[in-house]
Amino acid sequence: MPGYQAVGQPIPRVEGFVKVTGQARYAADFALPGTVWGKCLHAPYSHARIVSIDTSKAERMPGVHAVITGRDTRDGGLWGRAVKDAPPLAFERVRYYGERVAAVAADDEDLAQAALEQIDVEYEELPAVFDPFEAMRDAAPILHPDFNTYVGFKLKHTTPSNIHHHSHLERGDVEQGFADADVIVENTYVTQRQSQGMLEPQSILVSIDPSDDRVHLWHCNKVPYFIRGALAAAAGIPEERIVIHPTYIGGDFGNKGNSRLTPIAYYLAKASGRPVRMISDYTEEFLAGNPRHHVTIQLRTGVKRDGTLTAHTVNHVVNSGAYAAFKSYGTIAGANEAAGPYRVPNSRIDSTFVYTNTVPGGFMRAPGEPEGVFAIESHIDEVARRIGMDPVAFRMKNLIVEGDETAFGHVLHDVRARETLQAAVDASGYNDTKPPHVGRGVAIGERGTGAGEGTVEIRLLPDGRAIIGTPMFDQGTGTYTTIAQVASEELGIPADRFELEVWDTDELESDSGLTGSRGTHVNTLAAFEAAQLARRDLAQTAAEHLGWPEDEVEFSAGQAHRRDSGEVIGWEELLARSGQTIRARAHTVAQRSHRTSFVAQVAEVAVDPETGEIRVLRYTTAHDSGVVLNPLGYQGQVNGGFQHGLGYALMEELVVEDGRVTTLSFGDYKMPTVRDMPPLTTVVLESAQGEGPYNIRGIGEAPCIPVAPAIANAVEDAVGVRIRDLPVTAEKVYQSLRM
Amino acid sequence: MLRFKINGKDYEVAAANHRKVVDLIRYDLGLTGTKEACGVGVCGVCSILLNGRLVSSCIMLACQVDGAEITTIEGIAAPDGELTPLQRSFIDCGGFQCGICTPGQIIAATALLAETPSPTEEQIKEWMMGNLCRCTGYYQIVDAIQSAAEQVA
Repeated sequence: MPGYQAVGQPIPRVEGFVKVTGQARYAADFALPGTVWGKCLHAPYSHARIVSIDTSKAERMPGVHAVITGRDTRDGGLWGRAVKDAPPLAFERVRYYGERVAAVAADDEDLAQAALEQIDVEYEELPAVFDPFEAMRDAAPILHPDFNTYVGFKLKHTTPSNIHHHSHLERGDVEQGFADADVIVENTYVTQRQSQGMLEPQSILVSIDPSDDRVHLWHCNKVPYFIRGALAAAAGIPEERIVIHPTYIGGDFGNKGNSRLTPIAYYLAKASGRPVRMISDYTEEFLAGNPRHHVTIQLRTGVKRDGTLTAHTVNHVVNSGAYAAFKSYGTIAGANEAAGPYRVPNSRIDSTFVYTNTVPGGFMRAPGEPEGVFAIESHIDEVARRIGMDPVAFRMKNLIVEGDETAFGHVLHDVRARETLQAAVDASGYNDTKPPHVGRGVAIGERGTGAGEGTVEIRLLPDGRAIIGTPMFDQGTGTYTTIAQVASEELGIPADRFELEVWDTDELESDSGLTGSRGTHVNTLAAFEAAQLARRDLAQTAAEHLGWPEDEVEFSAGQAHRRDSGEVIGWEELLARSGQTIRARAHTVAQRSHRTSFVAQVAEVAVDPETGEIRVLRYTTAHDSGVVLNPLGYQGQVNGGFQHGLGYALMEELVVEDGRVTTLSFGDYKMPTVRDMPPLTTVVLESAQGEGPYNIRGIGEAPCIPVAPAIANAVEDAVGVRIRDLPVTAEKVYQSLRM
Repeated sequence: MLRFKINGKDYEVAAANHRKVVDLIRYDLGLTGTKEACGVGVCGVCSILLNGRLVSSCIMLACQVDGAEITTIEGIAAPDGELTPLQRSFIDCGGFQCGICTPGQIIAATALLAETPSPTEEQIKEWMMGNLCRCTGYYQIVDAIQSAAEQVA
């Protein structure tokens, strides 16, 4: 970008050294004298009444320091993000196979496991329901008879129900729209549960220090200020008594916004009087984590022969699992996305969230959006084929342009849907001739940039040190580097010169944390404002200590300048002479705009007609963007997001059979390896339209969104088989080819 | 008593024979640079070098390392902190994001370059497919290994 020194440069990670030498410390790497291990007992029923729990044998074992059950955690209330419906440990009732029912703290992990085996739980099995449509029937077993007493839900039941959220939107005259159509196309799409698959499982160390009576946490969590408040409320203590210490976070993708272990580890620490470490093993992550949801999306679309859309309806049914607590807002997106960024005058969108006796769903990278976009972008291809139009031409005719209202009733800003799709088509060779059994598919999605509050401090010291202070616990997306780049840009100090100072939660009242593609937007804004304060203070220091006239001093490129005499002095020398420390802290609240960013992708696949095997030959992803702050980091987000989408499209499935997760290790749950990644072409459509002082946009979530439908569309193009339930496996293609 | 060397330093420790090597290294000896994820030997996060061979420390027992020489991520850079070309390339090429799999990736790639100093892209992929990464899509890891190989060649 013209005029920038640091912004736009591929500056490597400022925390690189500690990450390549093993010095970066994650939650599981901390220990205190006397630390004991906590472990949970998991329920062997999908739905059952807990008749009794006898912990006496476990308690008597030497080396066991505490045994707790739902009786010990219930006084703290139910747990959750926006909605609170999950007991930390099951109380009176278990609602899914694998739910945590008791926990122990013992001298070591093996002993903790042995103690769990000595806990006797008597269950009375209850009828269970696993399918969301069955769970909506009148006779279905009710998971939450006390739903109306729960905190955070908008819905109130007049008769018992498993539905915890419903929304309805209607535009225009839908029935008339269908009456005006030449063709009506109706399809149902189903998406599978996907694990976040971060390679650091949930881990926590809790210590209640008798010397200061404070609760200390080391916890792989990206929203520490939320956790502090939630734990304070549950424990019935003031927030000030809790401090969460910084750690690196070993992958997030939505998983590290929740906090299943936090209250359990706290109660174990309280009961045992010892620091307690809990680390989920990966079996527990799969069995009792919070995966991306199982969603069913029914779409019905009216279209004229010339490709004009007349009506579109969405029935979006989310299998919430046993609890809604682990969705940051109690719900996920996807219903609007299944309506799509298309011009259609008449639309109806229903979205229903249903409890079932299955593992509770949670947030995962662009929560709900890959699900919704798999449906609409598969369906749009099917509609195009039914009226004999090319899928790209059909999209080009119907995609919104600036000023249009979407099918979900929003007017988005700086719309470049068609340009982005065209860029993907051009870069991919979409229209080139291809051999038999090779197919190409397109898909498009969009995602806005997140917002929230952030704080950055820049400190410049007389000894020449430059320090950046931040409340962010790094989960890998590069926030420290982008903050340092902004400080570098504004102050003329190389980015790698800054030392990082990551604060514990005593430092601030609140902070939004790193979620929802907000990190770069919020934190670069805060860094920019902190840098402006530092520049002002440096100019004032020059005026005070050098006797320069205050209105003749300005600061740029690492130096104070005196305009009338042309004198300059570097910041280090200035502070060395003055002996002063510059301490510039900015707290900002970034607002969410109506601007969105499109992502259009083209998959090219070869399908073996004998076996159904799918090989992705090459892949193209085009991104509608603002100014790219750091091309190295931006490309990393694109690459990683594509990998999530590829796994979602082709291989990843948290299989649930009879209500029970059966893919309980990375041997069964397949994630892409380096061998699975096809050649990837990335096209970036930079623009001067974006958020904050540098016109940037978020990139963390968009790349994963359209991958699955692009691949499903390519498979149909290759061998004429349409797969409407993810993942698109060789087995499904093989079966369909033989039908 | 088990006797072994880690990163050139002699250790003599008492550990149950069935103690997992990853736990021995991390929790008994405090070398927390080695991480653990899958626990079943498929993700490569806990990779160490045992007598120069690449192994998964989460599926090895303490009794198997008696008399061995082990290298962990802490032993890759020079004692003065100077990084190897591979470590430097991981930083410069963006070969990590969250960093949790990075010790294992660097251990595995170090073993690769010791055996095959100038690997083809295909050889890199073949060797590295035992190391999962959930952040990078692997592209920049492959770049980093290629770049390091070119620097040393």
